[in-house]
Amino acid sequence: MSQTNTPSSNTIAAHDQVLHFPKGSKPSLAPNVWLIWSGSQDEGGLPDLEHGPANITKVLVPFSWWVQHHNESDIAAKAKEGKIGVWFAADEDILKHEQLIEVGKTVWPVVAAHFPIFRDGRSFSTAALLRDRFQWQGEIRAIGDVLIDQLLQGARVGFDSFALRPDQNTDVALKQFDLFSVTTQNSWRGLRTTRASLSA
Amino acid sequence: MYKYDHIDQTLVDQRVAQFRDQVARRLDGTLAEEEFRPLRLQNGLYHQRHAYMLRVAIPYGLFNSKQLRTMALISEKYDRGYGHFTTRQNIQYNWVTLEDTPDILAELATVEMHAIQTSGNCIRNITSDAFAGVAGDEYVDPRPICELLRQWSTLHPEFAHLPRKFKFAINGAKEDRTILLCHDVGIELKKNAQGELLADIYAGGGMGRTPILGSLIKTGLPWQLLPSYLTALLRVYNRFGRRDNLYKARIKILVKALSPEEFARQVEGEWLHIKEGDDNFTQAEWDRVAKHFTKPAYKDLPALTTDQVIAGASQADQAAFARWLGRNVKPHQVPGYASVILSLKPHGSVAPGDATTAQMYAIADLSDQYSFGELRATHEQNLVLADVEQAKLYELWQEAKKQKVALPNVGLLTDIIACPGGDFCSLANAKSLPIAKAIQERFDDLDYLFDLGDISLNISGCINSCGHHHVGNIGVLGVDKDGEEWYQITLGGEQGNDAAIGKVIGPSFYADEIPDVITNIINTYVQDRKDDESFIQAYRRLGVTPFKEAAYKNAKKKEKAAQVSGEDAS
Repeated sequence: MSQTNTPSSNTIAAHDQVLHFPKGSKPSLAPNVWLIWSGSQDEGGLPDLEHGPANITKVLVPFSWWVQHHNESDIAAKAKEGKIGVWFAADEDILKHEQLIEVGKTVWPVVAAHFPIFRDGRSFSTAALLRDRFQWQGEIRAIGDVLIDQLLQGARVGFDSFALRPDQNTDVALKQFDLFSVTTQNSWRGLRTTRASLSA
Repeated sequence: MYKYDHIDQTLVDQRVAQFRDQVARRLDGTLAEEEFRPLRLQNGLYHQRHAYMLRVAIPYGLFNSKQLRTMALISEKYDRGYGHFTTRQNIQYNWVTLEDTPDILAELATVEMHAIQTSGNCIRNITSDAFAGVAGDEYVDPRPICELLRQWSTLHPEFAHLPRKFKFAINGAKEDRTILLCHDVGIELKKNAQGELLADIYAGGGMGRTPILGSLIKTGLPWQLLPSYLTALLRVYNRFGRRDNLYKARIKILVKALSPEEFARQVEGEWLHIKEGDDNFTQAEWDRVAKHFTKPAYKDLPALTTDQVIAGASQADQAAFARWLGRNVKPHQVPGYASVILSLKPHGSVAPGDATTAQMYAIADLSDQYSFGELRATHEQNLVLADVEQAKLYELWQEAKKQKVALPNVGLLTDIIACPGGDFCSLANAKSLPIAKAIQERFDDLDYLFDLGDISLNISGCINSCGHHHVGNIGVLGVDKDGEEWYQITLGGEQGNDAAIGKVIGPSFYADEIPDVITNIINTYVQDRKDDESFIQAYRRLGVTPFKEAAYKNAKKKEKAAQVSGEDAS
């Protein structure tokens, strides 16, 4: 299976197709154009997208890196072109960066939240906060150790795109969102069936 | 009792289909065991020492005869002829196969049952008072809230991968029969002067390797706001609970590290943003659920005194029947009725809490005949028929005796709470069941047990404390030392309103020493007690010293307790 982002020390691996599941639409696959940069080797600044794979044209940078570098002119210029998004680490306390995120909302085409391992659910709460507290309307992408069986939960807390781990089967992944036709608690996607079926 | 509507039924059916697909992917190798593990745990499927174990949810301990017959059928068809009722009001099967599990779940779904979130790092099956709705000391029937929160927590997406497991208990009676303070969250329900239903929230309790009693963090929360408040609470825990160390990942560690005041402040801070809105429960939701918890069709009966009830028995039976009435029959809200505890602790039993297939079928019949077809599972691993006519108690006792579930040992020394221990559990450091059996055999004299009165003895096979040894008046904990099984004794634990964590009395003992050690401890109580003092009252007055000296007087070896290890399983 070809991979957009070959696992290396300074990127986070992802499937070459991104699973998009916008609210109100059907899930679908599209080529992944975002490099997920880990920021681990940042002496040279942003990774060179010009000389990499042709389909990779944009970069998701660690939010902590953005905090340090967003005022630099070349970064600001790239961001203005819509070529930079940020990703939040699982232990990032986004509520401590309210102002920066408010400004970022006008710049980032996409934000992401990272799963260091599939069974670490912190990014579910990050996504929920981005939707509820920050009213982030744009895309939120799940990145990292994203497996088929997390998709449903992710879709309900606020994720609308998924950079699956490269070994995951996209056919199985696409079917996950049809598994349940009812819910018993609210989510970003809608009111719980148990409430919607009753008059308030 | 609650009856599924099409939403509940659809969800459970679709959950079976989801798990069937996950099992298929596991079996064809596309899903690795390490990645399957959290998925199967969230469906109650453990890999034990010898086989898979399936833990089936009995939400807040309430079930009916039809469900019990299905539990019996499963024990017969897919297991080895018995099921094990647990301290958290679930039932476990110890010998299922992975391949059969989807079929078992499908079978359960036909009677409105499931195994969702009975394990795993998510919100577990919610437990409550086994006497909810009938207890004489109840001020709020907790069951509608239990059911609303069962639904709210079922497949909750944000809290599917918490740092660790998360256990709720809900109480609405004067006496706490839920060990509320030993739960991650304890919800105490009450009504104010205006008759409004409110909740006090306790957080950060738990047993395991660091036993801590929960702290009160919120008072007077209107019931409608429970979902938003609990979302805030769980969100704080999900984000800031420790994930670097399995043993420090429970919410109790976070609450302790921050202090209950600071934890409450953070929850409050989060809650402010979400307390208004659609998350909260509506009256319509309450009405839909609460209508299922109305009273059954009680007859208009005269209240009988105990003497009148005893007089209904034959002369030969009266003494034994009176004992059973004294220990296993509890007062009821409605005149002419009583609640009956069927003891799953016959002396010399294989395991406390076990019921055979035949017993399950027979008990289902008894519930139909004597208690509106409903049953409850208790924290102490017994079963309850909650609504029995006093005038039929003698008849029921005779039937229960035939099934060997009429031993009048409820609340006595041999009503032992025990985990499955090393006989089944892969986490255990030592066996629990042979210890329980040896103690039951040593204290087989009912006259003597009655004389000893209320006393709880709880046994855990490892530090994870599934047998809740911390809250036993006498606690026995299996520990491993250089590959050998040792047993550590704690004293002074207590469940109920005066909940307390027991203290370790000193170095651990060999398995074969335990019956003597318990005997020595009990003898000290008998010798030194005053008037009607119970064991725990005497212990509190006398302190640990005389009990400790007695425990060690014949000890073969006095070595330091082993360092214990293992992951928390319950």
